[in-house]
Amino acid sequence: MKRTREKHYLLLLTPLLLLVLLLAIYPLLFALGISFFNYRLTDPTQTRHFVGLANYLRAFHSPLVHTAVINTLLFVAGTVSLELLLGLGMALLLNHENKLIQLIRSWLVLPMALPALVVGLIWKALYNVDFGPLTYYLKHLGLNLGRGPLGESHLALPAVMLIDVWQWTPLAMLIFLAGLKSLPQEPYDAARVDGANSWQQFWHLTLPLLKPTWLILLLLRTMQGFKVFDTLYATTGGGPGTATTVLNYHIYTQGMVFFRMGYAAALANILLVLVGMLAIFYIILLERQRQ
Amino acid sequence: MRMSKVQVLIQGMLVAAMLLFFLLPIYWLLSTAFKFGRDAFATPPQWFFFHYTLENFRQLWQNSGTPGYLRNSIIISGGVTALSLLLGVPAGYALARSQSRLIAASSHLFLLLLMLPPIAMLIPFYLLMRQLHLLGSYAGLILLDTLFDASFVAWLMRSTFAEMPPAMEEAALVDGASVWQVFRKIALPLAWPGLSAAAIYCLIFSWNDFLFALMLTSPRTKTLPLGIMASFSAVEISWGRMAAMSFIAVLPPFFVALFLNRTWQATISQRSSPNS
Amino acid sequence: MSEKRTLLIPLALMLALTLLAACQPPTTPSPKKPFAGTALTLASMSDQYVAAFRYLIPQFQKETGIEVTLDEMGYVDLYAKLTADFVAHTGQYDLMTVDIVWTGEYAQNRYTLPLDTFMARDSAILAQDDIMPVAWSLGEWQGQHWAYPLAGYANVLNYRKDVLAQANIAPPATQQALLAAAQQLTHAQNDFYGIALLGAKGPAVAQDYMVWVQQHGGSLLDEQGNIAVNTPENVEILQFFGQLFAYAPPGATDYWWDQRETAYRSGRIAMMEGWSIARAGYEDPKISNIVGKTAITLAPVAQGVPPRYGFGGWGIGINADSANAEAAWEFIKWITSPEIQKQWVQHQGAPIRRSTLTDAQLVATYPWFTTLLQAFEQGDGNYRPRIPEYSIIQDALGTQVNAFLVGQLSAQQALDRAQMQIQANLP
Repeated sequence: MKRTREKHYLLLLTPLLLLVLLLAIYPLLFALGISFFNYRLTDPTQTRHFVGLANYLRAFHSPLVHTAVINTLLFVAGTVSLELLLGLGMALLLNHENKLIQLIRSWLVLPMALPALVVGLIWKALYNVDFGPLTYYLKHLGLNLGRGPLGESHLALPAVMLIDVWQWTPLAMLIFLAGLKSLPQEPYDAARVDGANSWQQFWHLTLPLLKPTWLILLLLRTMQGFKVFDTLYATTGGGPGTATTVLNYHIYTQGMVFFRMGYAAALANILLVLVGMLAIFYIILLERQRQ
Repeated sequence: MRMSKVQVLIQGMLVAAMLLFFLLPIYWLLSTAFKFGRDAFATPPQWFFFHYTLENFRQLWQNSGTPGYLRNSIIISGGVTALSLLLGVPAGYALARSQSRLIAASSHLFLLLLMLPPIAMLIPFYLLMRQLHLLGSYAGLILLDTLFDASFVAWLMRSTFAEMPPAMEEAALVDGASVWQVFRKIALPLAWPGLSAAAIYCLIFSWNDFLFALMLTSPRTKTLPLGIMASFSAVEISWGRMAAMSFIAVLPPFFVALFLNRTWQATISQRSSPNS
Repeated sequence: MSEKRTLLIPLALMLALTLLAACQPPTTPSPKKPFAGTALTLASMSDQYVAAFRYLIPQFQKETGIEVTLDEMGYVDLYAKLTADFVAHTGQYDLMTVDIVWTGEYAQNRYTLPLDTFMARDSAILAQDDIMPVAWSLGEWQGQHWAYPLAGYANVLNYRKDVLAQANIAPPATQQALLAAAQQLTHAQNDFYGIALLGAKGPAVAQDYMVWVQQHGGSLLDEQGNIAVNTPENVEILQFFGQLFAYAPPGATDYWWDQRETAYRSGRIAMMEGWSIARAGYEDPKISNIVGKTAITLAPVAQGVPPRYGFGGWGIGINADSANAEAAWEFIKWITSPEIQKQWVQHQGAPIRRSTLTDAQLVATYPWFTTLLQAFEQGDGNYRPRIPEYSIIQDALGTQVNAFLVGQLSAQQALDRAQMQIQANLP
């Protein structure tokens, strides 16, 4: 019985698996493998010299890579925690079904509907210290913004983190909402019978029951946080100095400005390992929860 | 549960603050679409009372190829969403319910795909699409976006299905129903909120994708994000044009989200279970 | 599942409609239109001259029967897409606008076709002597032409004639006068500044710094043509550049071209150097708050430096993988011909020909053409080294000059680091 069940589960999985195997294996292997070569994208002869671990060693010794990794971790930690907290709060607030709330939830999709590059450009305009709308009011409140939120080294990273939070918290909200709506009713009925108030219900029932949801959200937003690029490109270019240079931005510079695809791939694999370690951690939590 | 008036007030203020934060930049952008270029950055900022103009929209419709971009974006996003759901939702169910190690391993493959920064895979994808003669076609971009979005959907639906207690499904299976029937008739309807979140996700990610669209489209299949970024020249950004195009770009996702939101039911208790 | 079905039907409908729309009746060649029916794709930067392309392409199609599809892209997208097209030999674009600084890279990698055989064969009708000598740098590399001149930009000094007149300051004729004027005209408390500059990390600050190197008679290459950015001269120039920022708006260290233009057009800036192609925009009441208040003059050089003026712009090249090289060459010949150039300029294109710059009718509409002519005559198209390694120089300067401007490094440190970064990344 179980065998046929597992066969059927496999059948449900097969279409996607097939697509991934057909289309993604070559690019994945290429991306993993080219890191062991010296490969200039624009080389007319497209020669690739095998260099073993040289790219990785170069990365480990590069102070810029160290800075980039730290900035990346700060960025991801900050944005993911804020997005999850705010997203959960918003989901709880908007968990009623009436026309108005449904309308509000639809409006909240708008930040996500714009390309990240455009969002970056919009915020660069809003943050502009000389004629941006936001800073106009901040200056009138008496704040001295110096070179502006994007121009001051200590303000730049928080400023771009805010942009990411602005754009993607609605996604967290949506996914939390879906999670909330999938929760079973019985535990809540039982708790109410036992006299638990809404805060206790939230803390002891909702949060634990939502664990798969927020673990998956944690995982996916972490992965996307590591890949952030467009926003930074449109706002600070990784500056001022190296204040907002994250690993993926450095990868872009190496790959698309200097055309060192081998080194860029090595950096990408390092990023992959970093994300992978976090992912394994989250998945272990997820698996444990399943039991 | 009845809430006190104070609670309602606080909640209302929180919602208002939320809306202000998320919608003010959007409002700024969209109002810029109706302004002359010279007023886009007027100080003090002009929020309501400014010289209105429809010039940006007129130019958009006449000169910039926007109708085509809109059509292409709709085709591609629609295709990606449909295909990603078709592939990803059953896969997510399998991931949630199966005990097989092989199936768990494939979920890690999907994750690997989502973890690697796209730039490392960009050129091989480009070359692959060329080999398949899919460069510049709708199919090429749809397939590529689906690759990533369906993987995400599989993971998202996995957690959605995992949250649902398997008791009802177990009962039906014991009664002799096939996995497919249980999936379609029991699990799927209950997972509708998760499904629509997944649908919105696919729609959003394919709608505002820039990098893959840049590499894989031809002038004939160009999408809206590319059109918007063409406002960014070496000397200036045509804010009026960018804003007008963005205005058009946010409307379809908004309406889809509205439609999907309207279909969400109040609570799981209001959904009649098959046996009650 | 019914929701999905309702989505699929309109999707299928749309697909069918687009397939139908893609079918067009072909035209057949004739003696007068030997290339009729050929389809060309042109990748163009989304600069002002795109409007000229849009206006002229239907005319070209009528005259020759060649269909040209225009694909307009922003700077970074254009570069990325073209690079992918070249490297993978996909031949998606037959024609492309080529930035002056890409010349060396395109030539060395043979991305575009050398046009010299075409030029020799058709020299009778090309009127090459009419093209300003400096304009040839838009595509010339080591004796061959890898792109043909299309749109010439001169670096000029825009200034508010009303503001300068009121303060009784003559338009600065030297760099030192420029600095003095900027200082005098800055009233920060009134949100008015003497000068606007590009300070943002990346290509923006790199390009502005390079302009100032040129104007002070410095050079990024030494006599042998090797890259030498940290010469004592260049360090002094960087310090001068930094001094100017004291009279620029506070956000200038984060300005891209767009912010600089907005600042000037909003009326809070007295002077701004920039490409001549933006000049016409200041007279457009829809985008400018300073209509009628701008004048331009030649960008001042430092005292004692022989007068040369920064030249840039775009050439037009033929993809080495194009299947329609001859038809593409027809387009190039046509759009750069003296007769069409007049219409080109009248629809926001930029000039490359002497005849265009001296045409009485055009000079009446665009009186700054006389200044432009002089700037072209003494133009320097090499102040940004057009070598294949240009992007490496630009990135190094873009990072380190910005670090200097925000106070993280001294001028010497910044240029030393830039030099090191360049050496480390050269192929």
